Amino acid sequence: MDIFLQQLLNALSLGGTYALLALGLAVVFSIIGLINFAHGELMTVTGYAVCFALIWGLPFPLAVIAGLAVAMTAAFLMERVAFRPVRGASGTTLLLTSFAVSAILRVLFQNLISARPIPVAIPASLSGVVTIGPLHLGMIQLISIIVTLAMLLGLNLFLHRTMAGRAMRAAAEDFAVLRLMGLRANSVVATAFAISGLLAGVAGVLWVAQRGSVDPLMGALPVLKAFIAAIIGGLGSLSGAVAGGFLLGFIEVILQAYLPESLLPYRDAFAILLVIAVLLFRPQGLLARKTLVKL
Amino acid sequence: MKKSKLLLLSTAFVALASAPLMAEDLVIGLATAQTGGLAPYDQPNLAGLQMKIEEINAAGGIAGKFPIKTIIKDTRSDSAQTAMVAQELVDAGAQLIITPCDADPSIAAGMITQGAGIPAISFCATTPTLPLAVGDYMFSNYPADNVQAAMLAAHAIEAGYKTAYILTSPDTAYTLKLPQYFGQVFAAKGGSILGEGTFTMGQQDFGAEVTKIAAMDPKPDVIMTSAYEPDFPAFVRQLRGAGVTTPILGSDGIDSPTTFGLGDLVEGVVFSTAGHATAGSPLEAFNAKWREKTGAAPDTIYIANGYDLGNIIEAAVTAADSLDPAAIREGIANLENLQGVTGPITYKGTNGMPLRSVSLVRIKAGDRDLVIQGQPDPADIPAP
Repeated sequence: MDIFLQQLLNALSLGGTYALLALGLAVVFSIIGLINFAHGELMTVTGYAVCFALIWGLPFPLAVIAGLAVAMTAAFLMERVAFRPVRGASGTTLLLTSFAVSAILRVLFQNLISARPIPVAIPASLSGVVTIGPLHLGMIQLISIIVTLAMLLGLNLFLHRTMAGRAMRAAAEDFAVLRLMGLRANSVVATAFAISGLLAGVAGVLWVAQRGSVDPLMGALPVLKAFIAAIIGGLGSLSGAVAGGFLLGFIEVILQAYLPESLLPYRDAFAILLVIAVLLFRPQGLLARKTLVKL
Repeated sequence: MKKSKLLLLSTAFVALASAPLMAEDLVIGLATAQTGGLAPYDQPNLAGLQMKIEEINAAGGIAGKFPIKTIIKDTRSDSAQTAMVAQELVDAGAQLIITPCDADPSIAAGMITQGAGIPAISFCATTPTLPLAVGDYMFSNYPADNVQAAMLAAHAIEAGYKTAYILTSPDTAYTLKLPQYFGQVFAAKGGSILGEGTFTMGQQDFGAEVTKIAAMDPKPDVIMTSAYEPDFPAFVRQLRGAGVTTPILGSDGIDSPTTFGLGDLVEGVVFSTAGHATAGSPLEAFNAKWREKTGAAPDTIYIANGYDLGNIIEAAVTAADSLDPAAIREGIANLENLQGVTGPITYKGTNGMPLRSVSLVRIKAGDRDLVIQGQPDPADIPAP
């Protein structure tokens, strides 16, 4: 029983990270219909920003804040430079543009910074353990659960209580009507990217704290997981992305824990099979959104 | 008019025919990765090799008569692209091809170079089956997985460990086979393997796996894994976080500044690597030379490894005394006890995976503490 509870806690921690990532994708997709595959590179940018801030002697909390600021700025710039010129183009064009942004950034990191991973000095206090009865939880896992919940709550308040948040929700419903109401499309889209950048930044810091280094390609895998989570949840639905993230984390941990040893190498195949099974019953995802995305 | 054309043509022919009389260039084609997943390994190897080539050319070429010319093409870490680049390099007249730091693209390139009869050397592929998959024109430039595993297993037995747990990932031959080779040797020498766990590379989540290890009864004496960045730091953080203090054995993938930055978490971890700079060793001299040239100490052994590839090429071409690819192949295949900066290198009597020394290093207060350096007992090395 203890072991099962421990595994549940592990699932919560992994699922939380996936939820943060999927939410970052969903915020942008719900508004302009773009699946931003360069989302992972926003995590990488955050990692480098934290890393260089530490090297320049900033204390860790300030370095994290600098990292988040850089992530938001990078997301904002990405939108301004790469995505605004193709806004309203077909989904394929948007998708290919995001692949291009991602590929260009990776090559730039490899050739301008370093192809080798750069170590990030994570404070030793983050390596600690919290013991609750028979359960152990690493400091980073605990922080990632708390931060995920805080981000979800914060985002919820933002979307429902502020003008910019309401505008974003309206934009997700019907962009054309939003513009007829006299709201500026550009500022709504920019806000969405900034939020997506912030989510990527938070996930990036948690990701880097776990691995202790930044390398140019580190964003590739998380964005893939986020994509799967967002698909299970129903693309474009924010609560769906969160649900999808937690479900994916849960599936992965339970399979790792309870598959027989001889089948363990096929764990990812089983996980994807379960995802396909979910999609067979709910082709639109768990919490699908009915409205079409138009711009 | 016609006559003058004929004259011009024949002059050109004469000029062409007389070209070999001048100093000949050894053309080395590099089908290696500047971008993508292999760049972290290929780039430092290339930097080391280029340093050696500059030194050779400054001295008038190999044996004073064969200056080296390189053609470098990026493979983007993609096997199909590596094969294509290898073909381009063969067509461009390369007499020797260097392939990436991994078996898969090296095999893809090897299919081309083997057919063309041009020797190919991988920067640092460690899969011992690489030359078997390609043929007698394929070589590698790094201690093979089974050699590293044999050294680690011998150490484990010597340290008194009776039981072991291995952690593998089926994602690469390196992360899968090296711990399994370790298991084979460890079992053959009287130890027993209590279990084998797996992980997905890049996932960074070991929660489920660590919970299983923590619940094992009896606990293993030692855990062996070839996980490297970003998996190794995440694994060790989560393992120690779950209160498991079992010693860890690792392989050369974790020989990076990130590992040494993990502080107390990695205290006592022993891993195998391709070289260790003891006082007065050639590697120490090389590191000093590198620091003088670039202003920074080398952050990975791959730089010295690339430099040693230059040493191998120099020795092989000197022995061949010709730029004929078949003669160069003979030269490499017959090298014996070449003193490289990482230690002695022997190809004679092997299938193309060199015999090189392996160092076992213990992490002690964030620094390296040499456990043992040398080659394993040949009887211990498991068949690939």
